[in-house]
Amino acid sequence: METVINDYVSRELVQDQGLLPLTDDTSLLETGILDSLNLLRLVVFLEERFGIAVGDADLLPDNFASVNAICGYVRAREPGKQEAVRG
Amino acid sequence: MGDSRAERALRSLEGVGYWAAVAPLLSRLPAAIGYRAACRRGDWLFRRQTAKRAELVRNLTLLGNGLGTGLGTGLGTGLGAAAAQQVARDWFRFASCEVLDVMRLRRGTRPLRRLVEIQGREHLAAALAGGKGAILCGAHFGSYNSSYSLLHASGFPITSIGRWQYKYTVGLSSAERRFWDLVYRRLRRYRQRPNIEPWPGRVEVAALAAAALRANEVVTIAIDAPPLDSDLARAVEVPFLGRRAKLLPGVVTLARLTGAPVLMCFQYRRADYRHQVLEISAPVPMDGDVTTAFGRCAAGVSAAVERAPAHWAYWTSTPDLRTLELRGPDPVPSPAGPSPRADEVMMRHRAADRVPTPG
Repeated sequence: METVINDYVSRELVQDQGLLPLTDDTSLLETGILDSLNLLRLVVFLEERFGIAVGDADLLPDNFASVNAICGYVRAREPGKQEAVRG
Repeated sequence: MGDSRAERALRSLEGVGYWAAVAPLLSRLPAAIGYRAACRRGDWLFRRQTAKRAELVRNLTLLGNGLGTGLGTGLGTGLGAAAAQQVARDWFRFASCEVLDVMRLRRGTRPLRRLVEIQGREHLAAALAGGKGAILCGAHFGSYNSSYSLLHASGFPITSIGRWQYKYTVGLSSAERRFWDLVYRRLRRYRQRPNIEPWPGRVEVAALAAAALRANEVVTIAIDAPPLDSDLARAVEVPFLGRRAKLLPGVVTLARLTGAPVLMCFQYRRADYRHQVLEISAPVPMDGDVTTAFGRCAAGVSAAVERAPAHWAYWTSTPDLRTLELRGPDPVPSPAGPSPRADEVMMRHRAADRVPTPG
């Protein structure tokens, strides 16, 4: 998952090539990689690629602060995990 | 120049008095009388606020070549000095009339709805029938906030992307913030969700707008706001008012990522000042590259300003026009004096969604 997300962010969202290669704990906010529209692009990608639904309440900077943070969020939101939590 | 401390305090007091006492009273009178009185107040401000008027006329004269017929002003072609004065007078009149629009929303929307003809509802209804929401693309133009409230009350679930200026204006006391909070409560009441307020570092704005669109709601965006410093890199250059302006094309990206159609929306005040027409366009094509697609939206705003220049909020803000790259630097200090105080800008609630420039 880390590789998939890192590839997507590096390919589609990073404009300053000087930031590449991107490490999984690089801050996407402090580096300016993640602005408002890029977060929307990322959300659309995550929903399509991992079959999760990102709710309004989940749009917190902490959830998208780095590739590692995104992976942690996605894992917690994966359908199986949601059911497990509910169960 | 009328910019002494006492003058400014007097202006501020007059503004608060108008919002707090006079306009609520006028809004209860028959519309013909209330709006006529608002125009008289506009005329008074036009005479008294010499610095602001000078800035307005100067910008209209510099940028106004080719501006259209205005609204009931008989400007004809072009915008000479006399015509610029006429547009400036209307600008002050409209500002006073817009306060009445807000006040008429105090007890439901009916008092205002009787004065506003909505054209193009069928376009918005058809857009929502597609199930992907709709984006109303407009500008800081006329009574735009009141028009969104009217649309919401008429059955369209409206959410606006925009800032409430009073929340961000530096130097406002808590009492002043409470006052403006009460004033704008009338408008906020007629929104599906709280305004989605962009500010530097707030990254969830577009995603929140997308959430509203996915719920098949309507999101409004004013595309003529000067980009903040942090957003300048994303701005694109498009034809605007016969020149080229730097604007943010986020509306196109939002539309493409969500599949929501984009419709242009402008409210024009008629020559009697009390009646208005809210025009909603058919969807704007979003094909082509981002700059091309966004250029169509910008052309819609430009056409509205050219058609009725007195409705546009930014004529009095030279710094904003410079950020838009519509105005170059002055070779000599501007005769217009300092920029309007925050409370003056706020009283023209047209500009209610910009973060004030520090200092």
